[in-house]
Amino acid sequence: MNKKKIYTIAGISAALVLSVILLIIKPTILVYGIQRAGIYAAIALPMALVLGIVHIVNLAHGEMMMVAAYLSYFICTTFGLDPLVAAIPTGIIMFFLGLIVFKTSIAHTLEAPELNQLILTFGVAMVLSQTVNLIATSQPRKISLDYVSASATIGEVSFGIYDFIFPALAAVFLAVLIYFLKKTRIGKAASAVGQNPRGARIVGINVDLTYTIIFSLASMIIGVFGSFFITKFSIFPAVGGTFTMKSFALVAMAGIGNLPMVIGASLVLGLAESLVMSVPHGAGWTPMIFFGLIIIVILSRSFRSKQ
Amino acid sequence: MSSTVQKNKTWPVIFGIVGVIVIILPFFTGPYVQSIGRTVITYMILAISWDMLIRSGQLSFGLAGFFGLGSYAAVLSAVNLHFNPFVSILFAAVVAGLMAFLVGAVVLRLRGMYFAITTLALGEIFRIIIHNWTSVTGGPNGKLLPKLAFDGASIPTYAMMVVFALVIIALSEYFKRSKIHYALTAIRDNEIVAKSSGINIYKYLLIAFTVTAAIQGAAGAGFAQLYGFVTPESSFNANYTLIPLAMALLGGMYSTWGPVIGAVLLGVLGEFLKLYIPYGHLVVYGIIIILVLLFMPQGIVGMAGKLLKKGESHE
Repeated sequence: MNKKKIYTIAGISAALVLSVILLIIKPTILVYGIQRAGIYAAIALPMALVLGIVHIVNLAHGEMMMVAAYLSYFICTTFGLDPLVAAIPTGIIMFFLGLIVFKTSIAHTLEAPELNQLILTFGVAMVLSQTVNLIATSQPRKISLDYVSASATIGEVSFGIYDFIFPALAAVFLAVLIYFLKKTRIGKAASAVGQNPRGARIVGINVDLTYTIIFSLASMIIGVFGSFFITKFSIFPAVGGTFTMKSFALVAMAGIGNLPMVIGASLVLGLAESLVMSVPHGAGWTPMIFFGLIIIVILSRSFRSKQ
Repeated sequence: MSSTVQKNKTWPVIFGIVGVIVIILPFFTGPYVQSIGRTVITYMILAISWDMLIRSGQLSFGLAGFFGLGSYAAVLSAVNLHFNPFVSILFAAVVAGLMAFLVGAVVLRLRGMYFAITTLALGEIFRIIIHNWTSVTGGPNGKLLPKLAFDGASIPTYAMMVVFALVIIALSEYFKRSKIHYALTAIRDNEIVAKSSGINIYKYLLIAFTVTAAIQGAAGAGFAQLYGFVTPESSFNANYTLIPLAMALLGGMYSTWGPVIGAVLLGVLGEFLKLYIPYGHLVVYGIIIILVLLFMPQGIVGMAGKLLKKGESHE
């Protein structure tokens, strides 16, 4: 427990130092970095809940976000809603979609070896992205909104205001999740189930219900995020894949089960990426940051656990 | 499992028939069917290589990475070093194998999802480097191959891929019968027991990882020879990971014939579906992965083995 705290403090202070340096050298990088970090944190938090608290490996995470974005897109174009309003119906639909996905497939692999769960959710990811491909084709889609392009200027730095909605969203998600895990009955049960499913069953916790609710809740959060995602980015069936990887990397980096640290990990990734992007010809190399980071994090964690 | 296959007289007959069909196929059909055959065989080789590694319990998502690496190694060596097409395929196998050996030394300490995700990330790193290293690799536009194997003639290239597949099948069977197989199975079943009984887990994993990556690299090189060009998007396509995985699962994991049967069935089905559903025909593959995992974890070969056994005991 103490070690965790030390890592958290070290991580946060590293991010802070990096931010201050950037603020002095080139504030634009800092602003863009924080906005990017918000997107990463918002999508990684539901995975942190599923993977970190109840230990379900879901390789269809990014694809569920993609499906939610498409849902929101069709709700908006059909009923003329604003995506930010459509977040509510999308979230509700995604809750039930998550429920269906969990009950029909993932629930059957909880007792099986980890390998089965990996391959299974990989199959789920494929079904989701290919079904969307089948229905909507691979043509990119986008919703144009006026308020998204609003910008502000402080000193010599001008930047989009709207993009700060993602850090705000991440903060809301984090607050909701922490409240849920600490204060509600099912949230407390989830922590117990994650630590020891058999023990939890013995003391009378409805383990199956807990898994189902956690997974559906995470799907709902992804649904809300999907609606926000469509306001800013164009969507296509393969858009989700990288987010599965990024979320996984961030959760691994933050430490399994450490929700607040996801924000810190996202900040490190977001700032580093925006730093590389600002270098001439750097844009093509940005993904290297992330893949390099994921390998370093995974390897260092596995070596530490061996010692 | 393997004992039922060996004892049973039905299997050699089935494979004999399939083998004859494969060999006479090019003489009765046009180039279109031959090109489908080459594609299916490429996937079959990938599926077998994936299976050879999963026998140790290590799930690799790095197929597309080594496949792309191999295809680029072949094309670049042919362009810059004027390698003969066949030498370039061998060269690609060596490059992919060497790369797997180097990264495997570190990565093979990981297990389960960490190994899977890291292999996926490695493949992406290869792609990004090749995508951005424009002066050497041609960047997003890729490279053209100056001279194809057999000048791209349909029947000889088809024959080349059949021979390649036979070599890989033989190699996989050798793996199944050799000491390596027992070591890898022991690792999958219980790593701690395997370790305490004196098996050098790390060595055997490294051998398996290197060999399978070399196969994937050679498959990529062979594919580049068939199509005559490479681009980051086509050579590192995620399909080269997804499709072989589905094939091996459907046919039956942990065997040689499972991936072979899965590749023939799914490969032909996939080409057929592609004609009618150009977008999203791969949804079938995803559904098959899910259904097989939930209801038929041993795949077709496992199921057939069980049924045949039942039939015998009734006699």
